[in-house]
Amino acid sequence: MSLEWMLAVAILLPLIAGILVYLIRHYQTRGLIVIVTAVVLIVNSIYFLRWGPDTFTPGSPMWGTIITILDYAMLLFYIYVGLSLKNWLVLLFALTQVIPLAWWEFGAGASTALEKISPAFVIDQLSIVMVMVISIIGSLICVYAIRYMYDHEEHKKLEKSRQPRFFFWLVMFLGAMNGLVLADNLMWLYFFWEVTTLCCFQLIAHDLTKEAINNGARALWMNSIGGTAMVAAMMYLYFTNGNSVDYLTLSNIIEAGRNGSLGATLMLPVALMCFTGMIKAAQMPFQNWLLGAMVAPTPVSALLHSSTMVKAGVYLVIRLAPAFDPVLGVMVAICGAFTFFAASVLAISQTTGKRVLAYSTIANLGLIVACAGINTELSISAAILLIIFHAISKGLLFLCAGTIEHQIWSREIEDMEGLAEKAPLTTFITITGMLSMFLPPFGMLLGKWMALEAVYVVPLAAILFVLASAATMVFWAKWLGRLLQVTPRLGRKIESLSLSYTVPLWSLFAGIFAFGIGVAPLYDKFVRAAVGNVVTVQHAFAEGWNILIPGAATTLSAEKGIEMLGSYPVWPLFIVFAVAIVLPLLLVSLKPQELRPVYLCGEQAGDVDTDEWYGAADQKTKLELGGYYFKGAASEEALNTWVYLIAIALFVIMFGIVVGVSL
Amino acid sequence: MNPVWIVIIAIVVAPFIGGLLAGIDRKVTARLQGRYGPPLLQPFYDFFKLLGKSKIATSRTQYVWIISYLVFMVTCLVFLVLQLDLLLLVFLLGFAGVSFALAGFSTKSPYSHFGANRELLQILSYEPILLLAALGVYAQVGSFNISEIFKQQTPLLTSLWPIFIALLVVLTIKMRKSPFDIATSHHGHQELVKGIMTEISGPYYALVTLTEWYELVLVLGIISLFWANPLWVGILIAFAAFILELFVDNINARMTGGWMVRFCWAIAIVFCVLNILYLYFINMKGVL
Amino acid sequence: MGIIQVSQVKSPWIMHFCNSSCNGCDIEVLACLTPLYDVERFGLVNMGNPKHADVLVVTGPVNYRTARVLKNLYDQIPDPKMVIAVGACAATGGVFHNCYNILGGVDKVLPVDVYVPGCAARPEAIIDGVVLALQKLSKAVGVAK
Repeated sequence: MSLEWMLAVAILLPLIAGILVYLIRHYQTRGLIVIVTAVVLIVNSIYFLRWGPDTFTPGSPMWGTIITILDYAMLLFYIYVGLSLKNWLVLLFALTQVIPLAWWEFGAGASTALEKISPAFVIDQLSIVMVMVISIIGSLICVYAIRYMYDHEEHKKLEKSRQPRFFFWLVMFLGAMNGLVLADNLMWLYFFWEVTTLCCFQLIAHDLTKEAINNGARALWMNSIGGTAMVAAMMYLYFTNGNSVDYLTLSNIIEAGRNGSLGATLMLPVALMCFTGMIKAAQMPFQNWLLGAMVAPTPVSALLHSSTMVKAGVYLVIRLAPAFDPVLGVMVAICGAFTFFAASVLAISQTTGKRVLAYSTIANLGLIVACAGINTELSISAAILLIIFHAISKGLLFLCAGTIEHQIWSREIEDMEGLAEKAPLTTFITITGMLSMFLPPFGMLLGKWMALEAVYVVPLAAILFVLASAATMVFWAKWLGRLLQVTPRLGRKIESLSLSYTVPLWSLFAGIFAFGIGVAPLYDKFVRAAVGNVVTVQHAFAEGWNILIPGAATTLSAEKGIEMLGSYPVWPLFIVFAVAIVLPLLLVSLKPQELRPVYLCGEQAGDVDTDEWYGAADQKTKLELGGYYFKGAASEEALNTWVYLIAIALFVIMFGIVVGVSL
Repeated sequence: MNPVWIVIIAIVVAPFIGGLLAGIDRKVTARLQGRYGPPLLQPFYDFFKLLGKSKIATSRTQYVWIISYLVFMVTCLVFLVLQLDLLLLVFLLGFAGVSFALAGFSTKSPYSHFGANRELLQILSYEPILLLAALGVYAQVGSFNISEIFKQQTPLLTSLWPIFIALLVVLTIKMRKSPFDIATSHHGHQELVKGIMTEISGPYYALVTLTEWYELVLVLGIISLFWANPLWVGILIAFAAFILELFVDNINARMTGGWMVRFCWAIAIVFCVLNILYLYFINMKGVL
Repeated sequence: MGIIQVSQVKSPWIMHFCNSSCNGCDIEVLACLTPLYDVERFGLVNMGNPKHADVLVVTGPVNYRTARVLKNLYDQIPDPKMVIAVGACAATGGVFHNCYNILGGVDKVLPVDVYVPGCAARPEAIIDGVVLALQKLSKAVGVAK
């Protein structure tokens, strides 16, 4: 297969499949098309892996023209949305994009030059990692959506199915994301960036409730700020370099950053584009659009949080890391670390399952952004490993949240009490997913561990990391506790789920273990080259199946002449995990001989399977237990003012420094 | 020595040390209260008696988490004696703590439930201190590996004494001593019924006791790292810290969970943070 | 005779339950824990939870309301377990005998192993009762000399 075809499949096939599912309004056919697209995309991503690094520019200039036209079509659509919803922020930030862009292309006469920027696509290991994450995990989520949307509409009792429209945007999203991570030409990157914003808006607003439309519009205007910043960055690069389009490709910007040929003028555009990425990655104070995205059907959340959209944001930040000025890097690291900390603390007070997941996503994206800001070999390795593991675990968790929602028809954590008895299978997968988010031996913790070993160069970020990891443990454990809190039921049975649910769930479940155990080979064969696209790779962190970090990996330990910075024995820890969790399930002699009622001061009103007790006047009272949410100390009302103030201040300081240095 | 032997010896010997320390604890506490106190080997009698009780439980999943608590605590100890990564050790200790909290959560019992929630508060209090201690060790030594600490000629205590003080707070929390016996408490205190331990009975209680002995040895072991060369000084320091805890326990009342979190974040963590920042600037001076 | 049997005799944890006593015996039970008597010498610990107890110490006569609670608590104690009835009321109903709400002594509800007489029972008598119960337990588990 030629590269041209591979790119066409990665970017255009989802679009074509989207149009097909939009036209053919038939449940089974739609399922078939989605599954076939998913399989083709997965196979195609493996072809990318085998193809390796390359560049590509389409022969015909027609594509450049088409993209320009579509750019304006989208921006005009945003203006229409702003006007029809009377949402002036949407309108404002659409205008701030379309007016400078039009002036630049037609007023300043740059349009022909802009259409001839090459190369259009650069395929390197980092983009291949992203393509694989998007194609594999994104496709699994689309498969999951087939049945989910059917149940969703069944429950809502819609007269006319809106599924064709939903799947059009959902499947097309994957194509836009693939285009985004492969594009090198900034104009094209900007185009794909806008397409993801558009898809995101359409999917969030899908249910057409007032809340859904409002939250969709919020996602739209917040990401439009990012778009504006990107337009500004491009124009700055164009005009400061004597009206030339030389620096309008990512590869040239990075090259200029590496050899310092542009000096301080590069700092502002890089900071602007980094800002764009951080908005898309929902960094504080822009976390609200991602939280609002929770109103959408769960597959949308799963897609936005795990493999697409927010990952585009962190991808851009990591991609630009080589061009970071050290001061900019430190500021990005502190912004990211602050987001990690604030989101983890806010997650403690959340009562809705999906909101906890959302805050956890924001926190982990903060961690990844901070790693990119630290910008050493160790931290970039941590960032890319975190992207992969976060996509798997968070994808799984959102699918679990969706499955739970369709069993209890609620998203509230309080309603999930005793789920371990009601739906043992779903709970088992959910618990594994949650454990994989924050505990050893799983990959997410490995990433966090690597990040902490690298973070000492920015001590403020290090301290925020530490506080955030402690808060992370608390909010996950709290939720896990609600799921586990059961009154034993006699004669329970395992629930049956549709194949469209179980295949993605078990695939991701297997992925957690496969990638978790094989993290060292994964790093060596797959991630290390991607790290090499960002920083110079000098050290081997993997030895056999284990991760060993040599002393030369950080400046402090190199100075002190330390041989070994840290070690992470992967295999042994998985064996420990197996002993800890699996063995008790298998060893009959450890099992309780008998279940007895809980201690209620001797006043329980029956056997093990009742949770009633004799209250006042011998009335039977049901035992009710609620979780702690620390509303006074950790709630949004109590903290948001501070969070916004600090986050905005951090960005202001960042841009203050950048502008100060570059002028 | 062969690492396998080291691991086996550590796993076998640690409970005896932990049990003896628990015995000393009860004897000293009794003497402080003007009582004669139980025999020194009383914790072992309690342990074996509990093993012989019938295995009853209130939920099907609780014992899984208790065993995982034990297994991960033993793993932490193995990490310590094999002198592996300190940071990872702290994360593993975190898993052990979370497992125990989940054991408390996995039954619908009000006492167990609030005990588990308080256990989470304890994690929120001590986990950052331990992580910051690992970072502080890195700032001083330049490595997260415990083996590198033993290669240091100057003891860590000289430059990391604020972190050492913060670790004493962790020791109090981990030993479940007043003023931090929040989630559950030891003998003689019944106000919480038994907190997180309420629904854990018989052999499972014995497993938790065993884990606590491992935990005690582990935390004291981490404290002894602060004077690793020669190690016997470190062990003496750890023992002195242990005895100090007994006095602290007997002259304090239990405080609330919120007070514990505030105390840890506002005082103990600030100690750690100042220590790390100081070392950072010292290191920076070396670079400049 | 294994280490577990020896330990069972050396580490009896008691739980104290008050039916409808006048609280005289209860105070005496607690007096056992004070420095003067210090029952912890024998490994005795006062537990607030049946799940951890080995010996149920009951004071006061059983009434219709507490009978159910007493039974429930007894059921929650894991085996092996002993019951000690402390005071005249716990043994027979005492001065409350034949009251409209009183069932009688503890043995109306539970199998009692040791009766400690007295109104109120003195701490020495209670300690004696516990030692007697331990001897009975050691015979039962086969440690007795």
